[in-house]
Amino acid sequence: MSDDPVTAVILAAGEGRRLEPLTNRRPKPMVPVANRPLLEHVVEAVTAAGIDRVALVVGYRQERIRNHFGDGDDWDVTIEYVEQSTQLGTGHAVLQAEPVVDGPFVVLNGDRIVDAAVVSRVRDLARDGDHPAMVVTTAEHPREYGVVSLDDDRVTGIDEKPEGPVETNRINAGVYAFSPAVFDAIRETHATGELAITATLNELAADGDLTAVGYDGRWLDVSNLWDLLEVNAGLIGESPESASAPPTLRESVTVADDVALAGNVRIGPNVTVGGSTAIGSNATVEAGAVVENSVILPDAVIGAGAVVRDAIVAGNARIGPNATIAGGPATVVVGDAVHRDVELGGVVGDNASIGGGATLADGAVVGDGVRADAGVVIDGRVESGAVVRRG
Amino acid sequence: MCGIIGYIGEIHATDGGVTGEAADDDTPGSVGEIVHRGLKNLEYRGYDSAGVALVGAASGLTVAKRSGEVGALSVPDVPDATLGVGHTRWSTHGPPTDANAHPHTDCVGDVAVVHNGIVENYEALKRELSDHEFTSETDTEVIPHLIEEELTGVDGDGDADLLAAVRRVEDRLEGSYAICAVREGDDRIVVARRGSPLVLGRGEDAAFVASDVTAFLEHTRDVTYLEDGDVAALSPDGVEIFASGEPVERETETVTWEADAAEKGGYEHYMRKEIHEQPESLRQTLAGRLDVDGGDVDLDVSFPPGFLADLEEIRIVACGTSYYAGRYAAQLFEELAGVRATVEIASEYEFGAGRTPDRTLVVAVTQSGETADTLGAVRRANAAGARTFAVTNTLGSTVTREVDGTAFIRAGPEIGVAATKTFASQVATLAMLAVAVGRDRGALAAADARSVLEDLQGLPGAVQQVLDEEKQVREAAREYRDSEAFFFVGRALGVPVALEGALKLKEISYDHAEGFAAGELKHGPLALVTPDTPVLAVLTDGARADETMNNVTEAQTRGAPALGCVSAGEEFGTLDVSFEVPDVGVVEPLVANVYLQLFAYHVANEKGRSIDKPRNLAKSVTVE
Repeated sequence: MSDDPVTAVILAAGEGRRLEPLTNRRPKPMVPVANRPLLEHVVEAVTAAGIDRVALVVGYRQERIRNHFGDGDDWDVTIEYVEQSTQLGTGHAVLQAEPVVDGPFVVLNGDRIVDAAVVSRVRDLARDGDHPAMVVTTAEHPREYGVVSLDDDRVTGIDEKPEGPVETNRINAGVYAFSPAVFDAIRETHATGELAITATLNELAADGDLTAVGYDGRWLDVSNLWDLLEVNAGLIGESPESASAPPTLRESVTVADDVALAGNVRIGPNVTVGGSTAIGSNATVEAGAVVENSVILPDAVIGAGAVVRDAIVAGNARIGPNATIAGGPATVVVGDAVHRDVELGGVVGDNASIGGGATLADGAVVGDGVRADAGVVIDGRVESGAVVRRG
Repeated sequence: MCGIIGYIGEIHATDGGVTGEAADDDTPGSVGEIVHRGLKNLEYRGYDSAGVALVGAASGLTVAKRSGEVGALSVPDVPDATLGVGHTRWSTHGPPTDANAHPHTDCVGDVAVVHNGIVENYEALKRELSDHEFTSETDTEVIPHLIEEELTGVDGDGDADLLAAVRRVEDRLEGSYAICAVREGDDRIVVARRGSPLVLGRGEDAAFVASDVTAFLEHTRDVTYLEDGDVAALSPDGVEIFASGEPVERETETVTWEADAAEKGGYEHYMRKEIHEQPESLRQTLAGRLDVDGGDVDLDVSFPPGFLADLEEIRIVACGTSYYAGRYAAQLFEELAGVRATVEIASEYEFGAGRTPDRTLVVAVTQSGETADTLGAVRRANAAGARTFAVTNTLGSTVTREVDGTAFIRAGPEIGVAATKTFASQVATLAMLAVAVGRDRGALAAADARSVLEDLQGLPGAVQQVLDEEKQVREAAREYRDSEAFFFVGRALGVPVALEGALKLKEISYDHAEGFAAGELKHGPLALVTPDTPVLAVLTDGARADETMNNVTEAQTRGAPALGCVSAGEEFGTLDVSFEVPDVGVVEPLVANVYLQLFAYHVANEKGRSIDKPRNLAKSVTVE
């Protein structure tokens, strides 16, 4: 066992198209839960595990990441940035970090929240340096991930998003311990198209060289828009005091306990902020509005008397007075897939403006920059930049 | 303008003289390294020469200095050094040469001095010191020689007190200065301040002194701002401060902002980082100050009862980018507060005739709070009996102590010499002040105030939207980078933005760039327009877009390419490039300015310019 410092390589170059429109203007790792980007939660798990060197692999909309994290001093870590200019897969992303990694390292995904404890365990394994290691957890819908076959504590194979029935709910958690030898292994991996890290891992597994690390702690993935509400609620529930200096609130305002308010939000009179809600910096909730189980991003404005439930209102979006996002179970179409009975009142993209008295039908997803007239009813998906007129 | 730093601390074999919680594992160990690092933090104040002086019990006084950036200076290894001073220079008297770099020493090389400011009577003093040997062309060099005279003159054997010598020398100096003096065989740093900034940092077993807290913020946050006329001695036993020869206590404050906010992070230039920080810095500027529902502003400032109601004139004094912020604000004061508002370049400001001092408010706009020209204007206004007010970014800065009231812009430290985020925060702060004054005077209805405050509230998000379009600006910069000249035009609130856009481009790309009121194009500048001179226009709300477009068309018919910042939903089909500005009313021109910042940045970057440190310029201009 050596005492080499372990670097954490965090993959944050991806776009996250399933979270459109939120990811039109920010990479998925910068989507906030409990008022802080997903990636910040990951960085905090890494620092809590005693790692003080981080390499962030960035690409899509990387200014947002660089701007937020700077050189890492706010988190007591040294952050270096490496650029993956085209998204050629996770293996390719890991390779980009080679110039800034000179010893054992761990790899995490910038958009999956894990506990510090598992990062510590992987860090120790990386330091021991016997074999590469992979964290294995369980998931309710394993087929959306890499399903893992095990032989005792050896990984024997990873089946990426399998089509047919699966025998196990064990999945690849996307957290790894490596030595620099893995860079050669990635280069030598035969791949057509994208160079996925799992292709290399499968080759290592075939040689019996991949250790599995069982983990049943927190593993939060925001695959879909509605997951954001759930993960947000979960994290606020853990530590509702997310506001460093909570704003002064009028007596007529009702705020539930499990709410995260940025210090500089403006809350008008007679506002009700229900549970599991996060409201970001410089956002405004005007008089008499009701906001519940929602994620409100910085600079957004919720107009007077509006009702916003089970909703995501992105940066600088405006919800007009008396507009309604009633909330409740909905059917949402993402790409070709139809998701029924999901808890999503509606989503309003960055800089969109919803006119006064307008209504979002359950599960409506309004793209960024959309202008919707007063009084319209919005159903389904509205393309970014569209104008919705009353007709 | 220059930066100075001094450090005194115990020697520790491994972690230098800094102990306690403030110490950082990465902290360089030796006195020389700590001073060198401090200089790097101060480089924004000047960077044409640098030097250090280190004092150790056995090694005596060691001086190293040279022309060039701080990074080019190799600091000698003096293991027994217990104290040191350093200097980063921006030339005022004498060109940047090795000889003119600080520290300067006396004839025998026992005393070393670093100095920020100007000794106005140095020629007279130099004549008096005719038997001394001078090696530089600087005004500063008289100081170590004067100290030498005081030291040898007291009892003839050169064994006198450095503190007493500095005090006596200070009486003979005219001008503005902050100085740090050290001497071989003396375990103190003696410092004096008059007219130039100087702040003490108090560590556990160490003390610092510098032109700016950023120099040592990584070591301690407990700071004491010296006042004009103060002399202080930093010794192993602590810090003693004297005013008029008597010991005095000065308050120790804790600095709360992060020094690391002043580091470059993941960006290749501070300027680009600071451009991208604007949504967040504007949120800080606005935080807790807007009462949108009530149509009012809480800037935590107060004026005597009736003063605002009786106000005849607001006069804004400022330099450079701050002056353009003032030009923007003057229009807002007239429109929102119903009061005559004028803007003066600070170095040109006189109180002037036909004004009533007690019905005049002079507003000084200065990022650093140390701008010598602006401080001079404040002093002239104070002398005339006018009420003075400062809008600044810097807590504890000199201007805050010389005015009757201050509003801070809260933009956080800005390192790039080209001001970007501070311009945005200055205009936003001044706009809030205009609303506050308008409401107080009864000149602004609550509903109208509310509309302006909603626009301000929307400013951070609007700026973010512009930043998201950076790629479009980069492409335009690539296309037009090699143009012969660039002309920026606007009307109304678009004029100061056009002027600022031109300033930004010229200061970092060295291209010929000029800003005009659009209507003036046809009165002369049109003669300069060719197919090789793009025109950049502010075509938003608050900038009389349609009229401006007519002038742009005049330029286009002479073949000039035209680029415009256009309000969302509007369209000028003949523009070669159109940048969309979100709908935020009177602050739309301010948002358009972000496009011009990005344009300047990318033109300069394409040309490989030294963006954060343009030639011949420094950040905080503390000379007149």
